[in-house]
Amino acid sequence: MSEQPVVYELPVLPLKNAVLFPYLVMPLSAGRPASIAAVEAALASESKEVLVFTQRDGDVDVPTQDELYAIGTKAVIRKMSRSEEGHLELLVMGMERVAMVKLDHSEPFLKARVAPLPLPEDTSSELEALQGALIDLAGEALTLAQPNAPQELRGLLVANDDPLRLSFVLASMFSLDAVKSQSVLEAPSRAEALRLLHKYLTHEVQVLELRNKITSEARSEMNKEQREYMLRQQMRAIQQELGDKGGEQAEADQLRERLDKADLPEEILKEATRELNRLAKLPPGAPDYNVIRTYLDYVLELPWRKGTEDSLDIARARRVLDEDHFGLKDVKERILEHLGVLKLNPDAKAPILCFVGAPGVGKTSLGQSIARALNRKFERLSLGGLHDEAELRGHRRTYIGALPGRVLQAMRRAGANNPVLMLDEVDKLGHDFRGDPAAALLEILDPEQNKTFRDNYLDLPFDLSKVLFVTTANALDTIPAPLLDRMELLRLSGYSEEEKLQIAKRYLLPRQLKETGLTVERCSIPDATVRKIISGYTREAGVRQLERAIGRAARKIALRYAENQDLAACTIQPDDLIEMFGPEPFTQEQARRELPPGVSTGLAWTEAGGDVLYIEATLLPDGKGLTLTGQLGEVMQESAKAAQSYLWSHAGDFDIAPSLFKDAGVHVHVPAGAIPKDGPSAGVTMATALASLYSKLPARSDLAMTGEITLTGLVLPIGGVKEKVLAARRAGLQSVILPKGNQKDLRDLPEEVRNEMKFLFAERIEDVLRAAIPQLGDRMSRVKMRPAA
Amino acid sequence: MSSPGRSWPSPAPWQPSADVYRTRDGWVLKFDLAGVRADEVTVSIRGRRVCVSGVRRDTVVEEGCSYYAMEISYNRFERYLDMPADLENARVTIEAQDGLLTVRMSTEGNEYV
Ligand SMILES: Nc1ncnc2c1ncn2[C@@H]1O[C@H](COP(=O)(O)OP(=O)(O)OP(=O)(O)O)[C@@H](O)[C@H]1O
Ligand SMILES: [Mg+2]
Repeated sequence: MSEQPVVYELPVLPLKNAVLFPYLVMPLSAGRPASIAAVEAALASESKEVLVFTQRDGDVDVPTQDELYAIGTKAVIRKMSRSEEGHLELLVMGMERVAMVKLDHSEPFLKARVAPLPLPEDTSSELEALQGALIDLAGEALTLAQPNAPQELRGLLVANDDPLRLSFVLASMFSLDAVKSQSVLEAPSRAEALRLLHKYLTHEVQVLELRNKITSEARSEMNKEQREYMLRQQMRAIQQELGDKGGEQAEADQLRERLDKADLPEEILKEATRELNRLAKLPPGAPDYNVIRTYLDYVLELPWRKGTEDSLDIARARRVLDEDHFGLKDVKERILEHLGVLKLNPDAKAPILCFVGAPGVGKTSLGQSIARALNRKFERLSLGGLHDEAELRGHRRTYIGALPGRVLQAMRRAGANNPVLMLDEVDKLGHDFRGDPAAALLEILDPEQNKTFRDNYLDLPFDLSKVLFVTTANALDTIPAPLLDRMELLRLSGYSEEEKLQIAKRYLLPRQLKETGLTVERCSIPDATVRKIISGYTREAGVRQLERAIGRAARKIALRYAENQDLAACTIQPDDLIEMFGPEPFTQEQARRELPPGVSTGLAWTEAGGDVLYIEATLLPDGKGLTLTGQLGEVMQESAKAAQSYLWSHAGDFDIAPSLFKDAGVHVHVPAGAIPKDGPSAGVTMATALASLYSKLPARSDLAMTGEITLTGLVLPIGGVKEKVLAARRAGLQSVILPKGNQKDLRDLPEEVRNEMKFLFAERIEDVLRAAIPQLGDRMSRVKMRPAA
Repeated sequence: MSSPGRSWPSPAPWQPSADVYRTRDGWVLKFDLAGVRADEVTVSIRGRRVCVSGVRRDTVVEEGCSYYAMEISYNRFERYLDMPADLENARVTIEAQDGLLTVRMSTEGNEYV
């Protein structure tokens, strides 16, 4: 017997601007005639049940089905009394969540047929984390809203260990509006409910914080003014006593003295003197007085002509660069080259460098190292998420509280006009209605314009041309083209395991030991242990997780020493890691052993380095065309079509029945996880997957490939060779097919990788297929020979 | 107009109040449950926890009569009581009289009380 959905019918109580949740009791007042009739009908039943649905629009009196949310709550009326105006005062209790099937207007009150909509019961480890975070946030919000909230209220948060119940309690505790509350009631999963609440409460906290801030600011403003007034009165009294001239006058004189001493360019001095004269005429209480003062301070503190002297000793610079970083030959050479140029021509224009690479490959620290090598100051400003042009360029002085932009602030901090200025994360630059910071950046980085960079606040030309700008980015695809055009790209590709080991031994380990106050004699970490950390506890192109793990290990050892003074020297063996860090979170990602027809192994270049990805294709009998799912950009779709068209047009060569292309559709899937940043390089992988599918011959599982293909079957070079090859090696694949045009990139690979891996260079797709699908290769040669035979 | 107030959490079914007596051969639980028939009540015992649940229906409703006020709770009720001893093997009898529901639990003959 199939189970009947239990649909039932009950009177409806439409709610304006509120939502009733299951588990919660809510007082309501019913005044609309239809609502009163509905309550009376409910009370006339044995079970006292009503349906509570929230109105989409609080102004409607008798809502239609469309004017009610489709999901509501079945409730039991627990108490009812009548007010003097004839309203019914109710206490209702939410019982279960229901979905409306049909609203019925035939009676004096609304009735609805509904079906129960059980609350979700999903479980996951994420849920616990979400719940914890939500409880913390709610505690914070509660503290802001009611600093002396009764303890019981807080108790409620902890007592409600059911995530949905907690969400419902919080939604009503913070009186979220009906739209938000309804979304919580409708949440398709517990995790979603928690997430929604977290979002809403975060907003609530922001509002509360802002409110508290405004109140306290108003208070402190008054205190400050009163205090200043008192002090000024006292000062006046003292000055009269001493027969001194006004303090303001003294201040102006002081500033004049500083101006004379400061080595300002003529134009700047003229402007500053004019401002000073204005200041001297103002009474100190005038609102402008402080504005001008702060302005003059800025003018005086900026390094207009002051610069540090470059250290032009190339041998020393090379030593410093090598001291700080392992490898990175190209980048280091480029810096030394520039040093050589500076030696010949001190006024040479500095290049604008852009370091591109995965997180933790040393972009930021390399910038610092360059500054050290050149003996220049180092300043860094992060552009990530910056979307207000004024942040870079400042606000006009007419704005209250205006300040110079971050560029000039950095210059002031540097105290020299030729620092290494690192603009971190250019690829994360935002832009919106507040202006386009990229445009300001263009001007800052343009050697023609940055000689006279005008900050809105300062409104004086400042010379940025001596600054050595270095920008960093994880990926290039979000950087506006004109900006990209101005910069010289230097790639820092990821490190192989061998390189990581060297970096750890020579740089990270000594540094971390020093930081914890240990010595190599007291704490040694042998190579095998470092290797285990690299392969089992980190998964990254750079070395940041590795550095952190080594630091953690060192701190644990330091603690042992602190607890036990006479501890002998200590060695961390690979097996000790389990105890220190727990079991390995990453087991080496292994290549699949055998591939069924239709699957091929590709290599992707991701922001975090490289990754192996499997492209899967299946035939859809009776289907049509090409379906693509998974992580596919537009470029990927084009590659897939090109691959299919190529195979179709050469079906004969591969001994594939052309009818297959016509009579069946194909579904190509690129699994999530590896999000390729460079779409076209999956072209050969697609083609191999399709060829394998149509020919029903499996592709080799020990071989990965990358390359773009054209409609005519040419294989074009791609980017990120080093990252991709390293990813293949990590996964235990021994052979890689690369486009012929990428042969030169092999020199970027560490020697041991070059020796260990087998590389095949393809010019045409046939080269790829022959290597990747051996049996198809046999067929192809047979076909080729047929005419001759 | 149905205007809402702030709501607060409460266990979904309502809870009748109870008295607990110790007797020579066990326990007597008395619940304030007028209008509930004994055969509509379920008593379940898990170790030391006794759970009494059921439904109170309003049987007075008749044509032409409507509520002026309501204070009595209807629909599902449920009440847990944690007893000082394991009662899983007790003999249980239920009886409803004069608005009170009496649950007798006798442990006579059980070794562990
Ligand atoms: N080749 C290297 N030799 C020595 N140390 C290195 C090397 N590469 C990275 N490190 C160290 O790794 C850590 C992380 O590097 P850094 O912060 O510069 O990364 P990043 O490239 O700026 O990353 P992100 O893109 O996340 O900002 C630093 O402590 C750095 O010194
Ligand atoms: Mg960085």
